[in-house]
Order: sequence, then structure tokens, then C-alpha cells
Amino acid sequence: MTDHTAPSGRATIARLEGVYKEYGPVRVLDLPELELFAGQVVGVVGENGAGKSTLMGTLSGAVHRDGGEITIDGTSLAPGSTEAAQRLGIAMVSQEFPLVGQLSVAENLLLGRRPDKARSSWFVDRRAQQAEAAAMLADIGLSAGRIGLDRDVRSLPVPTRQMIEIAKAWGRKPRLLILDEPTSSLGPVEAETVLGLARRLAERGGAVLFIGHRLDEVREVSDRVIVLRNGRLVADLSPREATEVRLIKEMVGGELEQGTPKAPPADAPVFLRLDGVTADGLGPVDLEVKEGEILGIAGLMGSGRSRLIHTIAGAQPATGGSMTLHGARHAPRSAQDGVNAGIALIPEDRKEQSLVLFASIASNVTVSILRTLSRFGMLVPRAQRTAGAKIARDVNVRMQSVDQPIGSLSGGNQQRAIFGRAFATNPRLLLLDEPTRGVDVGAKAEIYGLIDRAAAEGMTVIAASSELEELQLISHRVAVMNHGRVVAVLERNAATKEAIMTAAASTSLPAPTAPASEFTPLGEPA
Amino acid sequence: MTAAPNPTATPPSPATSLPSPPPAAASAPSGRANPSLLHRFAASPEAGVGVACVVVFAIIAFAAPTYATPGNLQVMGRDLSQLGILSVAEALVILTGGIDLSVGALAGLAGIIAATLNVNLHLPAVVAIVMTIVICALVGAWHGLTVTRLKVPPFVITLVTFTIAQGLSLAITSGTPVNGIDPTFSDISGYYVFGVPVPALFFIAVVLIAWFVLERTYAGRQIYAVGGNREAARLAGIPTRRRIFSMYVAASAISGLVGILVIGRMNVADPSVGPGWELTAIAAAVVGGMSLTGGEGRILGVAAGAILLELIANGLLALHVSPYFQQVVQGAVLGVAILLDRVRARYFGRGKG
Repeated sequence: MTDHTAPSGRATIARLEGVYKEYGPVRVLDLPELELFAGQVVGVVGENGAGKSTLMGTLSGAVHRDGGEITIDGTSLAPGSTEAAQRLGIAMVSQEFPLVGQLSVAENLLLGRRPDKARSSWFVDRRAQQAEAAAMLADIGLSAGRIGLDRDVRSLPVPTRQMIEIAKAWGRKPRLLILDEPTSSLGPVEAETVLGLARRLAERGGAVLFIGHRLDEVREVSDRVIVLRNGRLVADLSPREATEVRLIKEMVGGELEQGTPKAPPADAPVFLRLDGVTADGLGPVDLEVKEGEILGIAGLMGSGRSRLIHTIAGAQPATGGSMTLHGARHAPRSAQDGVNAGIALIPEDRKEQSLVLFASIASNVTVSILRTLSRFGMLVPRAQRTAGAKIARDVNVRMQSVDQPIGSLSGGNQQRAIFGRAFATNPRLLLLDEPTRGVDVGAKAEIYGLIDRAAAEGMTVIAASSELEELQLISHRVAVMNHGRVVAVLERNAATKEAIMTAAASTSLPAPTAPASEFTPLGEPA
Repeated sequence: MTAAPNPTATPPSPATSLPSPPPAAASAPSGRANPSLLHRFAASPEAGVGVACVVVFAIIAFAAPTYATPGNLQVMGRDLSQLGILSVAEALVILTGGIDLSVGALAGLAGIIAATLNVNLHLPAVVAIVMTIVICALVGAWHGLTVTRLKVPPFVITLVTFTIAQGLSLAITSGTPVNGIDPTFSDISGYYVFGVPVPALFFIAVVLIAWFVLERTYAGRQIYAVGGNREAARLAGIPTRRRIFSMYVAASAISGLVGILVIGRMNVADPSVGPGWELTAIAAAVVGGMSLTGGEGRILGVAAGAILLELIANGLLALHVSPYFQQVVQGAVLGVAILLDRVRARYFGRGKG
């Protein structure tokens, strides 16, 4: 199985034999044999629920494997111990960025260990801690002065936290570095840095396991791509073999129909108009969106994509300018005003901003229509279940029952349930922020289908995304943001990657002349 | 908005790395001295309580001539050995994201146990004290085990202990106080060092030890990590169960110490003493800046919170406020303190989390 990827004489860093993990009757991971070699970046792809995270977890100790042997550099790894895994040089960057918000950047960077130069193994050596933390940030190209070693991590924006998480893992000087979708919350420039780190470790003779949703990224960085499906290793490919079509085919286990071409909007009236709208870190923005149109919002991290969405929804107060919605003045003072005006917002972070994970599917999807569901102010549980089941069916949520906790669904199913909840209110304007974040390829196509359907039914859709391919696929037009402003609005056929990146990354404001490869503009406040 | 990495600078270039090149010598002095001391004080969560302590003390001392007399200060010092030490115990558990409802009842039971061992079983005072604290620590170990291994909510398991401890105190004594305890007990509580009552020194010692462990040792910092984000702590290789366990043990052992100080002070072990104190202890911890969700707040703040509550409680007596109104005033003061803290947090941008 590993013939072409195992040049003889190459050192094996990690060896997995007969490793498996079961949840109840389901075997979520079953690997008869897998070897990771020194100097290799191994891309891991698969749908959600294919066993990628479980594989990472068994290696990092976060998941207690039910059987099988793992050896790292010949030493056997005790199951289910993050401490043991770290001792053997395994470091993991998790999707959930496990940082402690209340602690400082420096303490998070050195979480669970002491600085190498600490003078005592009991007492905190603050000076050594600060010095090592600064060195760790500098090692991945971040400036300690700019981030602030003493700042609480919770006061930092999500992408910076992700970079800190990466610095934390990198600073452990790992033999085996596990990157679990490290770039999903990063802009292109930061993502590039992370891919560079993976290559660096491989060149130093370490091994990297790289999980990714963006297939192009996985192919670009990997020396070898393995595909998991239903907990099993179904393909072990060289980069040359790992074409996008092949990967998707292996992941879903069959042929997948290509993205549906979309109907351009009819000559519809303007539905939403923004005139010189400003808000904290945003604007002034002028924008027009037609009824039934899907407008994509592109831009680097911190360019104001989410802010624009939130300002339209009323979740962030506008400080100037005016908006009209369907000809009527739209000046929301709260997200509630936005909802009342027929706006549905699907935010970026499913778990934090959308769902009550331990509550049932039914109660999660009906939360937006409780008022219409209740009679004389009272809620009939049966009516709620029926409505919940209808909503879930409508958006094709795959589940055993509407009573199961929504947290037990896969990311794609959760995201569809959120769409169902939004559709249930019959919104006129649908605002999406990273609509497919953390969703696997198969489920993405279904979500694109839902977005298409919404537009076809006459909803106006604004979708902000960091994935250019996604925007190219779903949008009728793409608005590009840069430093809080809309610097370009591109028609579907003009919205090439180069055109978007040029506009998104140019430093001198409206002039989109700089070649896309030369930008380094992110540091300034957007 | 964010400090982003520069892709061209993967080997750290002077532009993106530290202000001064050798990292070992960098940033430690310069980074910390920059914000003015006053600003740092105002931005710290303990600022409100500290100021409140001074203001409350000044006002009451002005209004009630007996308030600031040495005798009354000594009374307050002794009170602090109860409420204050108990607040620290409570804070240890709250830091892990838990809560311990049993500290007051356990302190009461500890007094009864110590007295019973001493009076009825004729054990020497020192032996009785050590045994009592060990028994309390075992109770804490029970809490810690059930919370970390069986995932019993701390609220529930410590409520069970609260009920049992309260009942056990009455059952052992049939509801009557235990008299005739060894003078060693009252010696511990009765003496003064330069006019400071010894129990107040216990308070100071407990605060200092807790402060040192939590702020200056790796184990202590890891407790903050466990309380702030348990999963993150676990993934970082921190022994989360052991850290949580140790805090329950410490809290219960400290409660035992409080019980012993109390019977020494009263020279009798009264089975009705103790239950109810846990709420004051929780209040002191919260006023002092502890977050009930865990991982946030500092011991010095808790100590200030306990001092503030004591200043108010004692002050109401000194002002001859009707006992019926004292609780109302105490509750109102708590409310104001918490509201002011939210206002402060908003101004210094730490409120949203």
C-alpha cells in the first residue's frame, strides 16, 4: 500500500498497526497499517465523519483508542494520554483552538509545560516565560510586540488566536505535527505561512499530518495524500495521482455531479441599497443588491466582510450613511430589528453563535418560529416536534430523530439545520458568513444547492466567504472588500481569482494594480 | 485589526521580531513598566473592591466613633479568620469552575469533631486538630473524586455533604454545645502578636500561601488553565483531574481549619454554627472578582472582597442599624459592587470576554 510513498531507507516516525476506535456499535476508525515517514507532509482528506479527527485524536492522545499499537520513533505510545504523546514529540493544532481565554498570550503559548530556560520546575519563571513566548511567536513570523504577550487571549480576534495555537504547537519542536484544518479561519497570507511551516518541519526531518477541506491546499503542501472514508484508509496517493476529481471520488465513494450552473437573476428591482454606510472598522460602503441575487463578499482577513454582514443585520450598529430595504428605510438598532425586517443571518461560528448543542434538533430549528408555533402564548410540544421534523426534512438533515441532540450531527448536517431554521421565517434577505466553514465536500454541494434554492425563491442572498472557489461557484456578483471598503464589484464571469486577489490585497486604496503575488498588507487595522 | 504574520519573514527578520534582538533579555522590563501604575490598578478587577474597602472604612469610621478603635479592629480581624479563610477555600474551588456548598457546614462539623475527639475520646488537642483536618481533607478527596471521575456536578455533591455535615453536627452532640475543650484551642485563637489576633494571622498566611501557589507556581497557573478551558488544558497535557482534585481537598482542609479556629474563639463547640457561611464566602469571592464559570479572578481580590464584607457587617453594628435591615443593606452593597464592576469592565474593555 505504501510502496510508492516509501522510498526504502527513509526513517519511519510514526507507525500505526491495527488501530481502531469504536463509539457504541460504530467503528469510526479502523487502520490495519499506516506509516508516517520522516520528511513527509501527509495530507489527510475525507468527509466529515470519515475518521480524520479520530485519527488525529488517537495520535495526539486526545482520543483513547480502543486497540492497536502506535509507535513513535520506535517507542510505543500509551493510549489516551496527551502527556505521553507530547513527551514523544507529537504536537497538534486543533480546529477548535484550545486556548484559555482568561490567560495571557505568553501563558497560553507555554500551556502545560515550562520554558526550556526556566530556573525552577515548580515556580513560574516569568522572565523565561516571556522570552520563550516571544521567541516562539517570532519563529513563525509574528511580532510579540504587536500581539502583546500580556494580553488575555480572549481579547484577540479569531485568526490571531489560530496563529497563537500554531505557534504553541510549533514551539514544542515536534517530531510529528498534526494540523487539523489549520487554515479554515485564516486569510490567504496567514494560510501561506502555515503551509510554509509544514514544509519547514518536513525539511528538518519531521513528519506532518495535514487535514484540510480545501483540496487545492492539501495537494499543494503534501508529499502524499491519504483518503479516509467511513474510518478506513481508502486511498494512499502521490501528489500527481491526487487530482481534485480523484480525491472527491475517493472521499464520497462514487461519482459526484459537478456544481450546478446557475440562472442569472432576472432583471429584478434593487432590494438592498447602502449609501455611505459606516460602522466601527467599516466603510463608507455603497452597495446595491437586487432581489433574488446572490452577492458574494470577498476580502482578506480583517477586511470587514463580517462587519458588513453584521451591520446590515443590525447586529453591529451603523455609525453613518443610510440603508434601504425594498425601498423602505432600514436603520436597525439591534439584530431583532433586522429579523423583524425579514433578514436572516447565518453567522460564522455554528457552535458559538447558532446552536445549543445539547438541545434537540427540534428545539434548535424551531427557535426562530416559536411565536408562530405557539397558541395563546403556549407551546405544544407535539406541534414543535412536527414543525421541527418538517424543517429538518425540508433541508435534508440526516438524523435518527428530531429528539437527538443537534451536537450529535455532523457539521454539514448542523449547517443545513441552521439553513432550515433561517428559511422557516421566510426571510427576504439571507446573510451568510462563511456558509461552509468546517463542512465536508459532499455537504458543501448540498449547501450550495440550498443557497441556489433561496435565490430562486426570490430571497436576496449576501454571502461572505474566505474561499474564493466558493464565491466563484455560488455568486452572481462578487464584491471585494479591502480595509473596510468595497473596492470592486465583479460580475460572475469577471470574478477570477487573480482579479479578486488583486483588489483584495492592493495597499493603495482604489488602485488595483499591484500584482497579486507581492502583497503583505495585513498588519494595519482594517 | 490583527497582527498578521508576514510571509516573507518566515526566518524572523528584524522588522517583525522583537524590539531588541536577543530574546532572552527582551521585553520583560520594557513590556511591563509601560502602562502607568494608576491605569494598571484601575484596569485590574480588584480595583473596585480595594477602593470600596477604603471608602467604606472611612465613612463608617467617621460616622461611628467606636468603629476604628483597636478593640473593634481586633474583632474584625478575628471575624476575618472565619469568613476570610472560608472565602479563600471557596475561591479555590470556584477557580476550577466548580462550587463548594459544604465549606460552612463542614467547618461547623470540624469544630464538633475536634471537640468530641478531645472531650469525649480524651485525645490531646494537637492530635484532635490533626485528625480533624485529615478527616476534612478526606471529605474533600471524596468531592474531588466524584467530580472528576464520576462527573457529578459539584453543586450536587457538595450539597449532599452540606446536608450530611449539618445533620451530623446535631446528631453527634444531640444539639447541645460541647463544653470543656482543651485550653490549647482557645490559646490558638486567643493570643495577639503585636496587637494582631492570631486568627487574623492565619487569615493572612492562608491568603499568602494561596496567592503564591496560584500565581507563582506552574501547578497554580495550570489551575487557571483548567478552570478557563478544561479541554484546552487537557490537550496541552495538564493533568486536569489532579488539579481539580487538589483544589477540593485544599478547600475542605481549610474549612476544617476554620472550624477549629471558631471553637477556640468561642471556647465551646456549638453545633448550630457554620451552615450559611458558604453563601457569604461565595459572595466574598464574587465581589473579589472571581468568575463563577472558573479560571478568572485572583486571591488578593477575594481577600479584599472578604474584608469589604466584614467592614460592612461590622460597620452596620457600629452604626446601630436595626438587625432586621442589616441583611438588606449587605445585599444592596453586594449588588452595587457587582454593578460597578461591570461598568469598570466595560470601560477597560474586558467585559465581553
